[in-house]
Amino acid sequence: MIPTRLGATPRLLLRALNRNVSTTTECLQRIAALDQGEGGVNAFVSVSASQEEINQPSPSSYSSPLAAYPVAIKDNICTADLPTTCSSSMLRDFRPPYDATVVRLLKAAGADIIGKTNCDEFGMGSLNTHTVHGPVINPFQPESRRSMAWRERERRSAGGSSGGSAAAVASSMCYAALATDTGGSTRLPAAYSGIAGLKPSYGLISRWGVVSFADSLDCVGIMAKKVDHVRKVFAEIASYDERDPTSAPEKVRNHAQALCRTRMEELGIEADRLSTMKGLRIGIPQEYFPSELSPALLSNFRDTIKKLRDNFGAKLVPISLPSTPYALSAYYVIASAEASSNLARYDGVRYGSRVSPDETTDTTRTSNVYALTRSSHFGPEVRKRILLGTYALSADAFDNYFLQAQRVRALIRADFDNVFLTQNVLAAPSMPLSDSLDSRVDVIMHPSAIRTAPPLSETPDSGLDSYVQDVLTVPASLAGLPALSVPTGYDESGDGWPVGVSVVGQWGCEDMVFAVGAAIEAQSRNDIEP
Amino acid sequence: MLPMFQATCATHRTRLVLFRRYSSSLGDTRWPGWQPVIGIEVHAQIKSREKLFSESLAAIDGQPNTRVSLFDAAFPGTLPRLNPKCVQLACRAAVALSSEIQHRSAFDRKHYFYPDLPSGYQITQNYAPLAKGGELRLRRFDRIVRIKQIQLEQDTAKSTSDPKAGKTRIDLNRAGTGLMEIVSEPDMRSPEEAGAYVRELQGLLRCVGASDGNMDEGSLRCDVNVSVSRVGEGFGTRCEVKNLNSVRFLQSAIISEIGRQIQLLESGRAVPQDTRGFDEDSAETYKLRSKEDAPDYRYMPDPNLPPLILDQSFIAQIRECTPALPAVTLARLQSEYGLTLRDAEVLMSIDAGSEVGFDGEPSPGGAVRYFESVAHGRDAKAAVNWITHELLGQLAARKESFAENPVSAHTMGELIDLVASGEITSTSGKALLRYIIQKKTTTPLGELLDTLSLRALDSSSDTLPGLCEAAIAALPSEADAVRKGNERVLMKIIGWVMRQSGGRVDAKKAAELLKERLRGENGGSAKDA
Repeated sequence: MIPTRLGATPRLLLRALNRNVSTTTECLQRIAALDQGEGGVNAFVSVSASQEEINQPSPSSYSSPLAAYPVAIKDNICTADLPTTCSSSMLRDFRPPYDATVVRLLKAAGADIIGKTNCDEFGMGSLNTHTVHGPVINPFQPESRRSMAWRERERRSAGGSSGGSAAAVASSMCYAALATDTGGSTRLPAAYSGIAGLKPSYGLISRWGVVSFADSLDCVGIMAKKVDHVRKVFAEIASYDERDPTSAPEKVRNHAQALCRTRMEELGIEADRLSTMKGLRIGIPQEYFPSELSPALLSNFRDTIKKLRDNFGAKLVPISLPSTPYALSAYYVIASAEASSNLARYDGVRYGSRVSPDETTDTTRTSNVYALTRSSHFGPEVRKRILLGTYALSADAFDNYFLQAQRVRALIRADFDNVFLTQNVLAAPSMPLSDSLDSRVDVIMHPSAIRTAPPLSETPDSGLDSYVQDVLTVPASLAGLPALSVPTGYDESGDGWPVGVSVVGQWGCEDMVFAVGAAIEAQSRNDIEP
Repeated sequence: MLPMFQATCATHRTRLVLFRRYSSSLGDTRWPGWQPVIGIEVHAQIKSREKLFSESLAAIDGQPNTRVSLFDAAFPGTLPRLNPKCVQLACRAAVALSSEIQHRSAFDRKHYFYPDLPSGYQITQNYAPLAKGGELRLRRFDRIVRIKQIQLEQDTAKSTSDPKAGKTRIDLNRAGTGLMEIVSEPDMRSPEEAGAYVRELQGLLRCVGASDGNMDEGSLRCDVNVSVSRVGEGFGTRCEVKNLNSVRFLQSAIISEIGRQIQLLESGRAVPQDTRGFDEDSAETYKLRSKEDAPDYRYMPDPNLPPLILDQSFIAQIRECTPALPAVTLARLQSEYGLTLRDAEVLMSIDAGSEVGFDGEPSPGGAVRYFESVAHGRDAKAAVNWITHELLGQLAARKESFAENPVSAHTMGELIDLVASGEITSTSGKALLRYIIQKKTTTPLGELLDTLSLRALDSSSDTLPGLCEAAIAALPSEADAVRKGNERVLMKIIGWVMRQSGGRVDAKKAAELLKERLRGENGGSAKDA
């Protein structure tokens, strides 16, 4: 036991043991130096003042797993000490009276909550441009352009909606960052920013305190430079929470983990150490290579899977997930419908921004009064999705849109369950398929994105073009499966920007996904310090 | 095979009743030739300690906006957590109504914007309700009203408009309280039947502890659907009258609606399918909105709440712990204790619902349980008389409720024993009871008897004959009248004896003795003559 009066000294000792990890003070300095002003990253929307203020060290915290690790939190996750704006004018001055469960768990594990990160408004967007705080500018600078001053680098998106979290990690402003992922909001920015990003199995990490966009899809994501760091944070925050009715009970998560570990033992894969994975079956789904996919990314992906085969003994299995083409449409119907419902609470009555009626307002209808606040404080993308979702739920459209999308969602789930070797513990036990296990796989791999980070000047403000970015990420969201984007170097033959591949596993099989992710990481170039 | 047989019986019985109800309503002189058809949706607040999806207290009292959790106020990031007590209590109601509890039910969101709805949607059970089917028997009308379904849902906040100040105030205390919506089939045919349905349902819900069912406190509210058609024709177009909060208003709203609809039809116009309100002052309904203006609630399965799966063992457990229904208790009181229907009904009407506390927990209150412990090992008739006549009478005279009754069942029993054994007279017993109620004392009865000198005078001693002699001497003309055979005057002389003794003599013994003396004299002289 270390006596309290030694003050911060033990924390510094601890630092010395973790050379790779910047201290909170160092991170705060980097934020001060790089985040604001012309060419700044604009990753943070609020920052804790100093290390002392963030975390009064207590003796027990020295031995905590994340003791004094600086962690950033996406601004749609509630924090009692910092505002939570969701990058919306609606919540510009909102300070939640409570910490989200994930924030509480991080604090309990000793982490320093260093600040809140920029994002698309309420998580709606793929480029982090729909934000009241201004877009996040990707901190990356390709090798070929490093002669140019960093602040004058090319302005590209950090991806969205968790662009701030991704950029904060990529520019070493924190050790790890919490993000959210509804249809790709963690994986896409991770790929564009050259870091690792996990969308966990739905239900493993509590959503209590995570501002809802689409409840049935929303997950808390984790971002860090290394897969191992993601795993470390995951271990601290993935636990049952009785305050989240969709949190998977202990029994269910343990069951899934046991099935996953059994299979890993069969293959001789160790959970916390890089090892060969002879016989590991990696599924390559034919539907995940749309015409929009950039050819350079395709060759990067080919290299990555070849190395897994040649260096680790994995077996590559071509598979088909036939319902994939319908996933994007189904996703946008479901996500928009739920968003229209979840965002109904922002009415200017109890909290948040408000536009009061004036003498020109016809106050005989409630809707006229509400419209004032909601029209002026929601951004255009949010308004668009609320309208889409409202339509999808209207009596005339419900069957053709919402119910149809739910049917597609069930098909997508079945697609995955049909190809995984490991049983989905959430699905009703089904008859073993007649086709042999030859077509079954342990994990699925696909490129994380169809291109590298798009230049901010090119980004369409609206329209369906931006939605295409999500085409590869939404199926795992609809199925609630764990998906990890791992950086696989740079688009060498193209623009030289970061590239990532995604590993998707059966529900609750994060261990397997991490193991494969670590193997990919071990053979990829990744040096993106700005 | 047996269940099927029973089902057939039930159908048969329903048909018979249906037939009878048509023929009987032909005779309604208020609207000859017309047949009203009535269905009712009852919203009953669930008697749970905490709200349906949050841990704040559900009790409706308290300073405005003090019983509000972050979830109740729809704060960003909060999530619902289903209170199992609400499910249990609603299932009790289902059991009481013979409604079939569904293995799988689910929660949906009903969307509309209003300041009393913080999240912009109400969580309800639109697509898959908690229970389906069932029936409620209206004893007085010999009618069975079928239940369509029972669903769980959240109550809204309470908004109070102050037109003078141009302001509406919102109290979130009620927001998120658990409600049961109990929907009947259109099986009622008169305003009186509708009233009886609500009263009967109220009694049932209170009895099983599912709801307080107080209409004046708003814990039970009704929407009523009314249509009329000419006798023998199919159902007419119905109108819904919203938010009726007393049985009286319910009945007058129905009467008003029947009149209005008949007038429309008789003048050759159609009844538009409106949603209507009720003006309590004019006793008339008024239009809230037409069918065309009906809001689209955009029902959506709630993505946060997994389906509610209730297995057979859970349902069996609910059946086991559901308190006996009024009809069962009524029958038991009559058969087991030999009470008259009237006595049994009186007992059951006292503080109905107080047999069960919050969350369905048994509570010590309730007159039936009190009676049963008093009657245990005693004459049940004496027990019920003492409770309903003396105890309740004296409490009522003091404007005190049964819940405030200071006389424990044990004391009440002792008191009855003392009277039965003749240790005290019945008059003294009543005085003693009055004293205990007044002083709220817990002093042992024996002590009280001595302090108050209430012990009966031994009839074998000289006191009673002495008193009787004195009475005869004091009331010579009355004594004469008795001698001449006027028995009624005897009571006056007994009264004098009782007064003189402070009620401590046995009135019966006094009567015997006085008769003996007076008639004896009389009889003796007759013999002599």
